Amino acid sequence: MRSEARPDRPRAIACAIDHEIGREIGRMMGRVFGNFGQILLVDLDGDRVRAERQPLPESVYRECIGGVGLGAWLLLRFAPAGVDPLAPAAPILYVFSPLLGTPLTTTAKFALVCKSPLTGRICDGLSSSRFALAAKRLGVDAVVIRGALGQLSTLHLDEDPQRCRVAPCPELAGLSAAAVSDMFQRTGVASHVSAIGPAGEALVRYATVSNDGRHAGRGGAGAVLGAKKIKAITVRGEAVAGVADPAAVRARARDLAARSQGVSTDKYRRLGTASNLETFDRLRILPSRNFQAAAIGAARAKRLAPAGLASAGEHTRAGCAGCTIGCDHRYGGQRLEYETQFALGPLCGVDDPARLLAAARACDELGLDTISAGGSLAFAMECCERGLLDWPLRFGDDLVPWLARIARRDGPGDLLAEGTRRAAELIGGGSAAFACHVKGLELPGYEPRAMQTLALGLCVASRGADHNRSGAYQADLRPGVDRYHADPARAPALVIETEDHATLLDSLILCKFLRGAVPEPWREGAELLRMVTGLPFDEASLRRAVATIAGLRHAFNLREGWTLAEDQLPGRFHDEPVRDADAAVDAPPIDRASLAAQVLAYHRARGRGPDGEATDPS
Amino acid sequence: MVTVELYGLPRLRAGAERCELAPGRLRELLAALAAALPGLVPDILRDGGLSEHALLAVDGRDLLTDPEAQIPDGAVLVLISAQAGG
Ligand code: SF4
Repeated sequence: MRSEARPDRPRAIACAIDHEIGREIGRMMGRVFGNFGQILLVDLDGDRVRAERQPLPESVYRECIGGVGLGAWLLLRFAPAGVDPLAPAAPILYVFSPLLGTPLTTTAKFALVCKSPLTGRICDGLSSSRFALAAKRLGVDAVVIRGALGQLSTLHLDEDPQRCRVAPCPELAGLSAAAVSDMFQRTGVASHVSAIGPAGEALVRYATVSNDGRHAGRGGAGAVLGAKKIKAITVRGEAVAGVADPAAVRARARDLAARSQGVSTDKYRRLGTASNLETFDRLRILPSRNFQAAAIGAARAKRLAPAGLASAGEHTRAGCAGCTIGCDHRYGGQRLEYETQFALGPLCGVDDPARLLAAARACDELGLDTISAGGSLAFAMECCERGLLDWPLRFGDDLVPWLARIARRDGPGDLLAEGTRRAAELIGGGSAAFACHVKGLELPGYEPRAMQTLALGLCVASRGADHNRSGAYQADLRPGVDRYHADPARAPALVIETEDHATLLDSLILCKFLRGAVPEPWREGAELLRMVTGLPFDEASLRRAVATIAGLRHAFNLREGWTLAEDQLPGRFHDEPVRDADAAVDAPPIDRASLAAQVLAYHRARGRGPDGEATDPS
Repeated sequence: MVTVELYGLPRLRAGAERCELAPGRLRELLAALAAALPGLVPDILRDGGLSEHALLAVDGRDLLTDPEAQIPDGAVLVLISAQAGG
């Protein structure tokens, strides 16, 4: 295996000097360190752009931290109630965080926040790497983009709002985000680009936004940019937020980097999340054939496991900017992590590693969320199997031609571009029972019938069936937890604990793959914020902030029409048992009444009323 | 015999995919496993038990924790990484 991750010492020294200068400027301006105390508000109209800075009160940073927390606060304020996610008035937000730009490992990330065109609920994805670092140097803590352009264009954002501009780019139509980025770098237009692929242009409801080969995947932010006719965003700025205690930050950065090399991150560094597949198959929690089975058998799992993938393409490793873990495992140049591997592999009945890698490459080039693309195709395959659709599509087929049709809304691809929930509504015939989504977001790669704490986490997660905002799968794989029968007295608290942990990491922002090296996240999170921002965070104030963020997300969803009826799994999970690779019954379905009671208990524990109505999050 | 199947990090550390051991109590089995596959010590097996980085499940289902649990002849144990995230 060849390793591409390497330390960047000159950059680290330059970064330290920048933070000293930033600290002095920050002190003179009397602002909070780690942040700039303002956002950039960008309004688009036809071929014009108007940009201005707006200050944010310091209390917002105390109460919402940054990243997804700040994003939830801004979305609630800038999205008009009931707005169509693809209408010009719907905002899309690039939100930064206090730790971004510091030498702390795994912090080069930003949140991309909008109202999801797939779910109609909050959508808060993360993306990583160099674009994040460059964008924070605009000297703002978030960019809020509203309005729409008249034709496909590049939006250039500048530290000087007067120099923000748009340039029509019809010649870029149909290109992948990576191709646009390469072209801009080659021609000197810009080094750091956030862009959409053909799926975003075609308003596919699960289109991604990409930068540096990373993707804000879930929920369709790419379609929101596409609706605004923004093909790409470039950034230029020199601002530095500074940190309150540079010496402490430098020392902690060294300490965290050392911890990041320990056994708790070894799985990510040495194997990558693709090693989950064989394990999950053995645990019978690997969804296959549209959740009709929970295993594919050892021989097939081995073919799709890292060793099998390496036989289809040379294994290399890379990582996000400034990351000392480097979990990015590639096969034949194609990045592959577990969720993509599951969704484009077993979920669609694909067990040929070359076919799987080709589908993953196609999703990246077209700008499609791999989980929703795989979920939509697997659903359609089952519809074909049952005679509800007469398309020539079967489990195990080559996915690439179908992905291309989805990305261009070509023929049957137009229906699949809507996602499983809308497709099931149009197909009918009882297909809603096996359209595997919650709130319209397709399920990730864990069998909920065999992981019943996770089942609750999927039901109540604010952005729909989601493993990134709720890590409840971790709770199911703990000694003392019966994963086949959630304990109604414990499950809501376990779900809240994992949700809050995820929210903390996503607001700071620290990569979740570092979590094993941060055994006391609340204590250390408060320490990091104190040394970076100078604000008097402690564990209690951090827990209050995270509870506020949960309240903001829920308040947004409630305002946009959420009801308790959305917090449920499709009928399959309540009416059909879990089957193993040989179709033998392995576990019973989830008891409907028990899960509904747990959903109520969850909302009660969050301090909400009997119908899940919110209390005032502020 | 008892079969121990190894996945993820345990497999990487051990350099082996499976191991056959004599039936007995869990703590005896783990001692025998450490002797048979010394690469599992200390990250996966430590102080005669499982470390916080690993989980052991009977046939991939129920997680084992009681060191006195009797593991019968013919049992299949699955040793996996504790970090399940994807
Ligand atoms: S661990 Fe992986 S995802 Fe996280 S910052 Fe590092 S390379 Fe990026």
